[in-house]
Formats: sequence, C-alpha cells, structure tokens
Amino acid sequence: MIYRENGQFKTSYGADQQIFPIAQDRWAVLAIIAFAFIGVPLLADEYMFRAILIPFLILSLAALGVNLLVGYCGQITLGAGAFMAIGAYAAYNFLIRIDGMPLLGALILGGLTSAAMGILFGIPSLRVRGLYLAVATLAAQFFWDWAFLRIKWFTNDSSSGSVSVSNLDFFGWTIDAPAEKYLFCLGMLVVFGLLAKNMTRASIGRQWMAIRDMDVAAEVIGIRPMWAKLSAFAVSSFFVGVAGAMWGFVHLGSWEPAAFSVDRSFQLLFMVIIGGLGSIVGSFFGAAFIVILPIFLNQMLPALGGLFGVSISTAAVSHAELIIFGVLIVFFLIVEPHGLARLWATSKEKLRLWPFPH
Amino acid sequence: MSKQIGDVILDLQNISLRFGGVKALTDISFNVREHEVRAIIGPNGAGKSSMLNVINGVYHPQDGKIFFRGEERKAMQPHMAAAQGIARTFQNIALFKGMSVLDNIMTGRNLQMKSNLLMQALWWGPARNEELKHRARVEEIIDFLEIQHIRKTPVGRLPYGLQKRVDLGRALAMEPKILLLDEPMAGMNVEEKQDMCRFILDVNDQFGTTIVLIEHDMGVVMDISDRVVVLDYGKKIGDGIPDEVRSSPEVIKAYLGAGH
Ligand SMILES: Nc1ncnc2c1ncn2[C@@H]1O[C@H](COP(=O)(O)OP(=O)(O)O)[C@@H](O)[C@H]1O
Ligand SMILES: [Mg+2]
Repeated sequence: MIYRENGQFKTSYGADQQIFPIAQDRWAVLAIIAFAFIGVPLLADEYMFRAILIPFLILSLAALGVNLLVGYCGQITLGAGAFMAIGAYAAYNFLIRIDGMPLLGALILGGLTSAAMGILFGIPSLRVRGLYLAVATLAAQFFWDWAFLRIKWFTNDSSSGSVSVSNLDFFGWTIDAPAEKYLFCLGMLVVFGLLAKNMTRASIGRQWMAIRDMDVAAEVIGIRPMWAKLSAFAVSSFFVGVAGAMWGFVHLGSWEPAAFSVDRSFQLLFMVIIGGLGSIVGSFFGAAFIVILPIFLNQMLPALGGLFGVSISTAAVSHAELIIFGVLIVFFLIVEPHGLARLWATSKEKLRLWPFPH
Repeated sequence: MSKQIGDVILDLQNISLRFGGVKALTDISFNVREHEVRAIIGPNGAGKSSMLNVINGVYHPQDGKIFFRGEERKAMQPHMAAAQGIARTFQNIALFKGMSVLDNIMTGRNLQMKSNLLMQALWWGPARNEELKHRARVEEIIDFLEIQHIRKTPVGRLPYGLQKRVDLGRALAMEPKILLLDEPMAGMNVEEKQDMCRFILDVNDQFGTTIVLIEHDMGVVMDISDRVVVLDYGKKIGDGIPDEVRSSPEVIKAYLGAGH
C-alpha cells in the first residue's frame, strides 16, 4: 500500500480545491520541502551549492515565470534573458541610488520594473502571434542587450558594463555563505511557487489558459484578451525579473550584460519545453535537467571515453550537450508537449491503480 | 405552454454583412422576445452562424442596427456582449482543450469574479471564498447536465456528445439573458439529441433564459421553438410560428432546392 487514496472522500469544495487534494501528495511535498530546508544544508558541500543548487533554484524561478507566459497563456517569448537583465540592473540601481533600500525591496522593485517592461513589450501580442511575436520578443532581447552595454547610467558609469553587489542583508541576516544563499533562494522559490500555483488555480489562470486554448471562445464568454495577455506578460516578467536580480545579486555577485544574453532566453524556453508546458512542477524538472545535464556529461563522457581508450575533449562534451538538447527538444515537442511533468504524472497515475490497471 | 413570452429583447434591423465580395447576410430584420425559443433555420451557407456572430459582436455588420433591451449598440466587442448577458455555444465545439470540464465551466463565471490578481495570487480569504462560491454554482450546472462523473476530465478526452454538453454548461455558467446555440445537436444520435432537447427546454423553462437556436433537424425545430426565422443565401425568406413557416411555399422551395 504505497499510494492509495481509498477513503479520502472530499466533503467540501474547499477540500477538493486544495493544492494537493491527495493526502500522500501533500505529505510527500511537505517532506521534500522540509528535507530541502534542513537536510540539504547538512549534506551538500560548497561545490554543490555554487554549481548546482543555487543556479537550479534561481533558474527554476525564471523558468516558472516563462512557463506562466508560454505554457499557461500560450504566448511565445525569446526575450526572457532580457527581462532577467532588466530585473538585475533595475534592482541594482534601486539598491545603490536609494539610501537604505533593503535587499528584498530592491529585488521586488527590480521585478516590478521588469513587469512594467513586460507589459510594454507584450503589446505586440495583441496584434500578432507565433513567429511574429517570437521575433518581436527577440527584438526586445537585442534592444536591452544593447542598452545595458551602451547606456552607462544603467551600470552606474562602469566602463565595461560590469557591476557588483556585496553585503546582502535580509532583515538583519547577512547572506554570505553558500548554504545561506541556498536557503534564501529556496525560500524565495517556495513563496513564488505558491503564488504561481494560486494564480493558476484561480480565475486569472483560467483566463490565461482559455486565451491559450481558444481565444475566440474566451472572448465570447467575456474574457478580455488584452487584460489576459498583458497580465500574463506582467506576472511572467515579474517572476523572471526577480530571478534575474537574484542571479546577479546572489549567484554571481558581479556581472555584465552578457550574463543575460539570448542564450539565456533560449535556455529558459528549453527548460519549460523539456520540463512541461503549463506545469509548475515541470518548470522545476526542466531547470534541474538543464542545470545538471552539462555537469553530468562533463563527468560521464570523459570517463566513458576512458573505458574505450579515447580521450574526449571539453569541446566535444559541450557539442554533445547541444546535440542532446536538440534531440530532446524535438522529442518533447513532437511526442510529449507536456514534458517531463506529464511523464511523471502518467507514472503516478499508473502507480495509483497498480497492480490492477483496469 | 405555461411560460409567458415577454417584450422584444433583441431587435435586428436591416442587417447586412459582407466578407469581401461574399454577401453573408443581406438586409435581414427580425426580433427576439424575452423567454422565447427562437429558431434560425436554413441550408448550409445560408448565413445562420454569421447571424449569431453579429448578435454577440464577433462580426460587425456593414449596415443595419441592433437594439438590445431597447438600446442601440454600436461596435460591440464580444466580451462586452458577454457582460450584457449574451452567451453562446459553437457549431464546431470551441472548448478549452487543455482544461478540465470543471475549469471550462468555471471560465463561464469569470465575469462575475471580482477579486484582483494579488488576492488571487495570495489565495487570500475573499478570493478563496469567491472561488468556492462560484464552484458551488458550477456544481449545480454540472448536476443539471448530468456530467458529475467527468468533472475532472480534460475536455479533449471526451466524446463529441459530452463535449457539446460541456459547451452548453460553460455558456450556462454565465447565467445569460440570451443563449445563442449553434447547432447544439449536430452529429448526435437520437438519445443524445433527446437529452439535449430536454436541457434546452429546461433552461428555457426553469431560468426563463431566452434562446436563439440554429438547428437542422426539422422535427426538433418544430417541436421546441416558439418562432422560426428562415434564411437562404443570406436573405430572410420566412419568419413566424413553426406551422406557418412549414407551409410557406418559399421555404419549401428553398429546402427542396437544397436537397432536403
Ligand atoms: N469569417 C468569414 N470570412 C469569410 N467568409 C465567411 C466568414 N464567415 C462566414 N463566411 C461566409 O458567409 C456565408 C455564410 O456562412 P455561415 O454563416 O457559416 O452559414 P451557416 O451557418 O448558415 O451554414 C458562407 O458563404 C461563408 O463562406
Ligand atoms: Mg453554421
């Protein structure tokens, strides 16, 4: 009896509309969160925090934002990297230009700036879709790449466009050691994950999905396409912007515009495609996969080559990485558009019925 | 029939609609009275669906006037028509494929949900209560349409007949004044048609909802409608109670000509 929901009858709609209506799921998630907060800091070493866990958490947050727009509202974006940059540079400017600006305040203001820009750059979505929208968002990416490199005010007149932030102070807690950074990022991700989940199970989330699935019908039942699309751009850009600010402040410490190039935009899009469009947990799967795969290949391929007496160069590893991503993207787009999250849900479904599948 | 047919609620005057060179509707006038079941019939391509699209603001006619509850409306967008109480179902089912039956019907409540984005994101008391209140209302519709067993199923997995029912449920969730139904029984077997007829009559009877119905099955039309408009090639060729329309030579000609 590993996964049974016998006897769990819902007696109210409130109980039925919980985030995890099945008790086992609820406990499992709580256990995972508790382990992440208590167990992981005891077990992980500095390399794990810096190279894997912190990037994973921050990119999960960014991917979650992208997923709200692409997976839930059905609008394409190739400019997520630019919105990370907007979040990072805006938060930086709020931090250094306003005396006594707290860390959290700067992060949120960075996110809000990104949200405002998201609305602006989302306006084309009211007229165009698909390829044309992709191109419009790509233009946003190039515009902001250029702006942060060339407009010196954004980078406080630093010549290379490189800026840095130190002394992260979160209500008296100095975030310094890798484990502390990890805990901060984890806390942020849990909070934002909850916000995202709440939106997607409420009226706003249904409006986004309705626009995604059938926009004419959505309008006919009273959904305003402008509100639905622009709110998705705003919320998504807010998430991505906060993630960008955290990437700069917490993960990198000092950064240049290249940290948020178009490569990052594509990476985030790949995360939601591989992880699962329209799935919160899928965003986490996708981020984990894309953070871990290169590290895994770096360790595995040379070792594998060693077995057969061939030496595999770093360049070959990174080529292999691109090839594997390419194949996976094509696989998921064609075979399983709902990504790893769907594969996970399907196996859980089977487990629920096991051993009597009928 | 016990129900009381009321005043004119929707009045269409001299409506003409063209798509480039195609005249979809030419100088069509008719009205709809409160609480009645008004049928629109006619051969394929006659302009019936276009007529519904004009009524709820998807298409904007080049000529003519539309009065809704005595007021002329101009350049109305579909979501404004929805806000005024006009709901519809679609000839080619237009459900939200990636969402469950429950969520599809819940979208119909959208206009009545007032809590703002931040409250929803926080699942804050009022937002949560609102969600539960509307869920309860949607469950009544689910019971009414007898689709309890599939409420959590993604609509894409449902057979055609049930999808049509969910489409009706989504429109009903809006608690509309006027319900526009575009061939709600097309492609159904006899039993499914009977169920659908029963639902339509019950809606009309219990909630007093005015219904504008496009249907090909003449038996059904004659049975359940109060008045019938007949279109052919975008022109109105008949208008009246079912018996009148059935015996009109022009209507008979159009239908024989179209091979019916
Ligand atoms: N969006 C559109 N663009 C161009 N032509 C259209 C459009 N909608 C309808 N039509 C044309 O208008 C005419 C009436 O179509 P329609 O209203 O769908 O008829 P019905 O529902 O009676 O079968 C047809 O000739 C059809 O091709
Ligand atoms: Mg039609």
